[in-house]
Amino acid sequence: MGATILIADDLSFMRMIQKEILTERGYSVVGEAADGIDAVNKFQSLNPDLVLLDITMPNMNGLEAMRKIFSINPKAKVIMCSALGQQSLIVEAIRAGVKDFIVKPFKPERILSAIEKALRSA
Amino acid sequence: MSAAPGPDDGRLRRAFLEESEELVQKLGETLSALEASPESRELVNEIFRLTHSLKSEAALMGYTSLSGLAHLMEDVLGQIRSGDLALSRDVLDRLVAGADRAAVLMNEISQSGKESESGAEDVVTGLSTLIADRRRPVARPASNGAPPAGETADGNRETPFNEVELRRIAEARDRGESLVRLTVTVTPDEPMKFVRAFLVFSNLEQAVNVIKVVPAMDGAPVDDSLYGRTVFYLTAPLGGDTLKDAARVDQIASVTVEQMDYPSGGSPRDGSGAPAGTEMTGRTAPAEKTSIRVDTRKLDELWSFVAELVLHKAHMSRLSDGVARGMDAESIREELVESSDSLEKLSSGMQQAMRDTRMIPISIIFNKFPRLVRDLSRKLGKPVDLVLSGEDTEIDRSIIEALSDPLTHVIRNSLDHGLEFPEERVRLGKPERGKITVSARRQGGTIVIELADDGRGLDTDRIRQKAISLGIPGAAALGDAEVRELVFLPGFSTKDVVTDLSGRGVGMDVVATRIRNDLRGDVELVSEEGKGTRIILRLPLTLTIVNSLLVADEAQMYAIPLSDLDSTAKVPAAEISLQEGGEAAPWMGDTISLYSLAGLLGRERRPREEYFAVVLRHGESRGFLVVDELIEEREIVIKPVDDLVNPLRLFSGVSVLDDGQLVFILDTSFIRRDNF
Repeated sequence: MGATILIADDLSFMRMIQKEILTERGYSVVGEAADGIDAVNKFQSLNPDLVLLDITMPNMNGLEAMRKIFSINPKAKVIMCSALGQQSLIVEAIRAGVKDFIVKPFKPERILSAIEKALRSA
Repeated sequence: MSAAPGPDDGRLRRAFLEESEELVQKLGETLSALEASPESRELVNEIFRLTHSLKSEAALMGYTSLSGLAHLMEDVLGQIRSGDLALSRDVLDRLVAGADRAAVLMNEISQSGKESESGAEDVVTGLSTLIADRRRPVARPASNGAPPAGETADGNRETPFNEVELRRIAEARDRGESLVRLTVTVTPDEPMKFVRAFLVFSNLEQAVNVIKVVPAMDGAPVDDSLYGRTVFYLTAPLGGDTLKDAARVDQIASVTVEQMDYPSGGSPRDGSGAPAGTEMTGRTAPAEKTSIRVDTRKLDELWSFVAELVLHKAHMSRLSDGVARGMDAESIREELVESSDSLEKLSSGMQQAMRDTRMIPISIIFNKFPRLVRDLSRKLGKPVDLVLSGEDTEIDRSIIEALSDPLTHVIRNSLDHGLEFPEERVRLGKPERGKITVSARRQGGTIVIELADDGRGLDTDRIRQKAISLGIPGAAALGDAEVRELVFLPGFSTKDVVTDLSGRGVGMDVVATRIRNDLRGDVELVSEEGKGTRIILRLPLTLTIVNSLLVADEAQMYAIPLSDLDSTAKVPAAEISLQEGGEAAPWMGDTISLYSLAGLLGRERRPREEYFAVVLRHGESRGFLVVDELIEEREIVIKPVDDLVNPLRLFSGVSVLDDGQLVFILDTSFIRRDNF
């Protein structure tokens, strides 16, 4: 069985694309969240191997969700998704310990190779 | 290594020199052979192995130019092996140029302990374009980002460290760390190069001591494209893996690790970045290859034998005087017998003492493992306990030097492929932490080294599947033990997703070749699915003297090392049957192959009613060897045998007996070759 992944993005289209890419590669998308609070709750209940976390989301933004996730599990593997122009937010996320980041729009192979490397890292 | 500074460093270095010089030499020879027969897969495999070993050894000692070069060659060979690259005249020329360059670097290292960092760029480019053209078009240094200020393409310009940085560097030097320049190139299509470089920076900060980053990392970037290539100056305990691991994130095109000289005195410059091999030993003296370190107690023991020998000589001359003076025959006879007895004791004692001076404890290799395991364990996220035992076991220098690589490889395999991730282990009801045990012990005339893990074991079904898919004849019918033997075949790897740890299917075949061919030992793999894997190496105590059984066949004497001998037997002609693949006879309720030297050498066996035979063993295989006569057991001194007189590789060497007779030493691996 492939690694389990939680996708968090407020755009259902984006979640759909990501899920399709991941499922095709054999990953198991165990949950989808449409905002930060949802993402944290689902992380707690599903305990996925990796979280794909959009940086701009309603209710609770990605950075805040990331911090909550790290407080649940300091070793959580989180990859941030962001758009150009959000450099300083990602730098903050890196300081907090995210494994990698992906810049939208992305090609499928980018997301896959980032996930693969993050899953293999310590 | 600076990680474990101590008296062993000189030895490690000598071992490196001897071994690598031989590798480089073999590389040249094998390439010449390949030029003569370019279609030989075996030669390609061999060259691949040589470059792989050279890469690892040079990297271990911090010789980045040499290891980088070997790595490039390995990549090219890997592509030839996989069929992605045709072995054209041009490709061959570039490989030969690479080998020549390796020889130059090796020579420099052996003369001065240092290698040139630059020069022969055409050779490197010639090789790298072969790879870049095919496999990783993005893996070349980004050309869109201008080189950062203070850095030129060859990286040789001074990079001044400020006072604070110099102080931090000095502290690191006192801790025994190395000063390293790590250059990271981001793939050109990365839209956020600064953030990418920052990610590497952040990872590095957690693992090592970052002194300086060019261009600087603090504050918001002025121009993102400047970070296409970022240089990190840092200090760390040596070990390229830890560093490269930090850069093991996505969208990184290349990472180079160079060890630097510490800035000398108060002069704040980077010492032109020459990789400093000698830095690791803390000395700059040229390599000492012809001298060895010997425990003085061993020398004292040897000296006492010499003293006895002098006494003995005095006794002999007295005896000879006595003969001249007409001493009676009976007392001369008695004294001679006595004298000859004690001379024999003396000679075997001296031999033992001399051999001991060549023996060093295996801890020299074992000491490297805790660090290796710790680094890999952290890198892979697999917590593991390493248990070492028998570090005091002594083994011949020449063997120890050749053992380091294979053992390291086996341990890497265990961590990389053998042990499960902690979550999986918990799910399987195993302790969360994996366990790797490495032990050494002496068992009679052999050294037994065992490496065991409690991981998932070999998936024999999967290996069998792979063998079938590779078209190995009869693969479907192979038993589990035979399937396990497959992992020793060149280029055979079940790991479909190749990891950078254990390489591209290079692995167990290198281990097996090294142990079986070079060290005249044996390697056995025991594995239980789900429970773990155990690799057992059996090695001779020394490579030069071996206890053997002398046998004669058709007036020629042969020696069979006792370690390759199971027993002797008589085989009635009536029990010999013709089986598929040759003759066989019953033995201990089994039927095993029966060979004769005449048969092996392509002649007819002389018919008899009953044959003398020895039962040979090679690993688990057994086979009869019919001989005319069993003579006696004797210690013999092995000398290498030229392949010209040994085209079938039946012999592992020759020896000259005290009466001048030549004996061939049998290499019993033909039993295994036959079974497969």
